[in-house]
Amino acid sequence: MELAALQQLFYDAIFDKEGTNEKELCKLITTANNLTANEGIAIYRGSILGKLSRALKSIYPVCYRLVGEKFFEATATTYIHRFPSKSPDLGDYGEHFPDFLVNFEPAASLPYLPDVTRLEWHWHRIFNGEDSSTLDLKALGKISQTQWGDLIFHLPKTSILLESPYPIHKIWQINQSDYEGEEYVNLEEGEIKVFLWRQGYDMRIDLPTEEEWQLLKAFQAKKPFETICEDLAVGYEPAHGVSALLTQFVQRGWIVDFSV
Amino acid sequence: MTTHFPPSQIAGAGIGLRSQHYQDILTHNPPVHWFEILSDNYLAPGGQPLHYLEKIRQNYPITLHGVGMSLGASDPLDLEYLARLKRLAKRIEPAHISDHLAWISIKGHFLNDLVPLPYTEAVMEHVAQRILQAQEFLGQRLLIENPSSYITFKESAMPEWAFIQGIIDKTDCNLLLDVNNIYVSATNHGFDPIDYLDAIPAERVKEIHLAGYEKRKDYLFDTHGYQIHPPVWQLYQTALKRFGAVPTLIEWDTNIPAFEILMAEADKANAQIKKVS
Repeated sequence: MELAALQQLFYDAIFDKEGTNEKELCKLITTANNLTANEGIAIYRGSILGKLSRALKSIYPVCYRLVGEKFFEATATTYIHRFPSKSPDLGDYGEHFPDFLVNFEPAASLPYLPDVTRLEWHWHRIFNGEDSSTLDLKALGKISQTQWGDLIFHLPKTSILLESPYPIHKIWQINQSDYEGEEYVNLEEGEIKVFLWRQGYDMRIDLPTEEEWQLLKAFQAKKPFETICEDLAVGYEPAHGVSALLTQFVQRGWIVDFSV
Repeated sequence: MTTHFPPSQIAGAGIGLRSQHYQDILTHNPPVHWFEILSDNYLAPGGQPLHYLEKIRQNYPITLHGVGMSLGASDPLDLEYLARLKRLAKRIEPAHISDHLAWISIKGHFLNDLVPLPYTEAVMEHVAQRILQAQEFLGQRLLIENPSSYITFKESAMPEWAFIQGIIDKTDCNLLLDVNNIYVSATNHGFDPIDYLDAIPAERVKEIHLAGYEKRKDYLFDTHGYQIHPPVWQLYQTALKRFGAVPTLIEWDTNIPAFEILMAEADKANAQIKKVS
């Protein structure tokens, strides 16, 4: 048999619940003294599903903790059958898990689960993401007044703006192994906005005010500074003008670069 | 290339670097000859794991060991993966890069686990071409590791060791001989592991792997989750007598223990290496 056909048959036999492919594959496998062909295939199936499931567990530890081992493994198995791994790097696996959970009926009683896992996915990617530089204030100082309107300020490459109707940051926090505070979350406390980012190698979860959020969104959209000032001028308190907020953003490390 | 790390040559026993031990290593600077990383875990563009790896590399030689090349696959070689690996190698300056005589993917779908090949002349030629292409891309000779296996294919026309010899002849690659894998496969398939060692060209063995298997009902399962078992130590002694003082890695991937336990295993390997040095 051609190598490609044999490998496709093996792949299908691992994930095929009907057993038709496994039957065909068995005909091509030598029966060893202690292992039948079916047993050999079952070992690979267990090992492959186990590896992918462990990859999901390592990326989604809060979800694992929330639903427990049995539920997580059953959920992971369903996910693995629907979403094949498409990368040699297991760190790339599991991107669609939050969206999958939205329509996963057995998890319907935990409506916050998709958003919690979304936070976990971005945490994972940001933790391993490209290192950001720090803002070059000297270079910024050299920009002439006439060019300020055209400036585009950059948020860290390792950052994301997330919204949820549930307090996902609290759910995430109390499910950390070193958490020692109050273990109560009010799911009705209202919509939250989260700025998840990395400062150096330290992960940060910040909760911006509405004004800060609007400015973060504008920076994320790579809008020129003048346009941002015009868009956001209405409704801002003078003390919290865009320029004042920009200074705070720079001090917090939320701005890491600029371009003209 | 600008060298900014100590020399990368390896000797004696090394330990598989796992994130659980970063702090131990950085704080205590333990007397380990070298570390091996699972290169596929460090392909991300940045972040703390790479940062720690670079810090550790300042004091130790490092080897890169992966499963992602899928050298036995029928898909075209994944050049994006190789480019990521090459970037990592440029950053870390490893002693060498290794991967397995196996496949993990078909039509862009990954099993992320090592599956054996049918050992035929045609497959040998196919895999050899891929190894040559990978070596050309990475600009260096690879070490190829023998996998542990639970199935063999009826169409195989030769034993694994003859297939390996053919691959070496065609590609000039070197070998990462996993003694535990030989023992696991020998037990599962009923061949004599000494026959395997007899057929291996000594001058090509540049690294040995040791790990702990798990005894299941009627077979051995290669979990890398236990101390090395006595029959594997015994086979290792035989291997060292034949191949000389080959650098040897203690591999531990599941149920990762305290660093001292890995050190104790490395000490045992070092004692064996000393006997043949």
